[in-house]
Amino acid sequence: MKQRKKINNENIGYLLIAPSYLIYLLFVLVPVLWTVAMSFTDYNLREWHFTGISNYIQMFQDKVFLKSIWNTIRYSLMTIPVVIVLALCLAMLLNQRLKAKGFFRTLFYLPNIFSMVAVSMAWLYLYDTNSGILNRILNGLGLESVGWVSSTTMSMISVAVMSIWNQVGYNMILFLSGLQGIPEHLYEAASIDGATRWQKFRHITIPQLAPTTFFVFVMACIHSFQVFGQVLIVTNGGPVNSTTTIAHQIYKNGFEYFHMGYASAQAVVLLLIILAITVVNWKHGKGGTNDGE
Amino acid sequence: MESKKMGMGAKNRLLMTLTYLILCVWVVITLVPIIMVVLTAFKTDGEISMANFRWLPSSFTYFDNFKEAWRMVNWPVCFGNSFFITVLVVVGSLFFNSLAGYAFARLRFRGRDLLFMTILLGMMVSPQSIIIPQYVMMRSVPLAGGNNMFGSGGTGLLDSYVSLIVPFLSGAFGIFLCRQFYSTFPKSLDEAARIDGCGPVRTYFYIFLPLSKTILATLTIMKATSTWNDFFYPLIFTQSERMRTVQLALQMFKGSTTTHFNWLMAATLITVIPMVIVYFLAQKQFVQGIASTGMKN
Repeated sequence: MKQRKKINNENIGYLLIAPSYLIYLLFVLVPVLWTVAMSFTDYNLREWHFTGISNYIQMFQDKVFLKSIWNTIRYSLMTIPVVIVLALCLAMLLNQRLKAKGFFRTLFYLPNIFSMVAVSMAWLYLYDTNSGILNRILNGLGLESVGWVSSTTMSMISVAVMSIWNQVGYNMILFLSGLQGIPEHLYEAASIDGATRWQKFRHITIPQLAPTTFFVFVMACIHSFQVFGQVLIVTNGGPVNSTTTIAHQIYKNGFEYFHMGYASAQAVVLLLIILAITVVNWKHGKGGTNDGE
Repeated sequence: MESKKMGMGAKNRLLMTLTYLILCVWVVITLVPIIMVVLTAFKTDGEISMANFRWLPSSFTYFDNFKEAWRMVNWPVCFGNSFFITVLVVVGSLFFNSLAGYAFARLRFRGRDLLFMTILLGMMVSPQSIIIPQYVMMRSVPLAGGNNMFGSGGTGLLDSYVSLIVPFLSGAFGIFLCRQFYSTFPKSLDEAARIDGCGPVRTYFYIFLPLSKTILATLTIMKATSTWNDFFYPLIFTQSERMRTVQLALQMFKGSTTTHFNWLMAATLITVIPMVIVYFLAQKQFVQGIASTGMKN
């Protein structure tokens, strides 16, 4: 009798996860394996042949794709450190007794609620070479116009700047909640021992905040390696491929040229890079992880 | 002693002034792009031209840009699509994910932890790396969109609501968050329910679901924002004008008006207004949601 009830409960467990898990299986796990499989073919929506590793060989001779990897790394290096430092600074400033704290917090988070399309539109106008606001300010100061998104030297920086603007608030909220989790008595004890502000920051805030920083860092890495929307809308990868990223290459090869086998091989690279980032970070960030176990 | 205290006070006041100064600088940086969108949306063609540029529009009752933006795109259809998709995705995913999260957290069944591990893996998979098979799958659904029974010949479920709703009814992150949330309750809760004769399903509906308001509010905000703002999947999965979402419509609008920044900014403003209203009505939920889900709490 008891045995039967147990089996019954077990089936109910499967039943409850079934809708969610089946959709997840069908639309996430199967596509992961399918991408890997497709990367060994020349599928183009009509027909496919097994081509072995030729997509991978082609990929590492493809100057545009290699450039897109380098661009993605460059974008990450430009955004992640700046976002983390700015977000941490703002969070530290807001984590004091302040007037209008709620106002600042609400406002700083605001850019994050806009869609990437809307954000891109706003910045397109700021960046426009002929009628954009930034160049108007420069001209007003007697300086030459800058091709914010039309010169190969500036374009990636411009894409990075608008992404930083978009992301700081979100990460600030994460840091703020991390800071509020640090027990007050640690600071009080340090004050009694005569610690300076810097010492408190260095020896209490930084180590206590490590799990948050770790989480913010991992998420920022994952997000920046997928950067796509702003690239497609603001620069479409140009000029001269100076802003094309891995995700943008996947999109172009897959859905503009319909080289789906080749795009799948690039998708596998993206998958592996993100997997590697997560695993490496996880190994280094032990002790303060977010797995909740 | 007295003078030292005074010194401290002055130093603190200086630090406070500096704090407000830096915060205000960031306020300006945050606001400038937004304000420029608003100002530009009210300017005439002349006022945005290089020759007679002015920072402020001559009147905030100049609505021609909005009229133009409204005329060029079938916004009611786009808003309808975005709204319909968002509502169904939010309601469906909330229900399915919280059920699954509950089962993973409170019930025992064989392979539970292994299945949950595969869900954690999914949190690292980015949309761009699985979009190609997803597209092929949608395109080759048999007997849909002109396809024969082997799934070829037509466009399958591409360009349909199904393609923009069904894949998003589940999500690694949602299941994960619900499972974490339901893990925090004491065991005695299930036991009490069992003694009262509730099976697992009734326990979920009568005990756990009423206790889930915070996590459901958080998930609602997160899922609604990401669905409403999503641009990638509508871009890939839809073709026809009648399936366009708000984000896609805005991107298409850009393509047709490269020189009319005042029209483009008016259109941008039209698309962000619903989100801004929701944000200011529920800003607490936004911020708390991020704070509590970003980290284990």
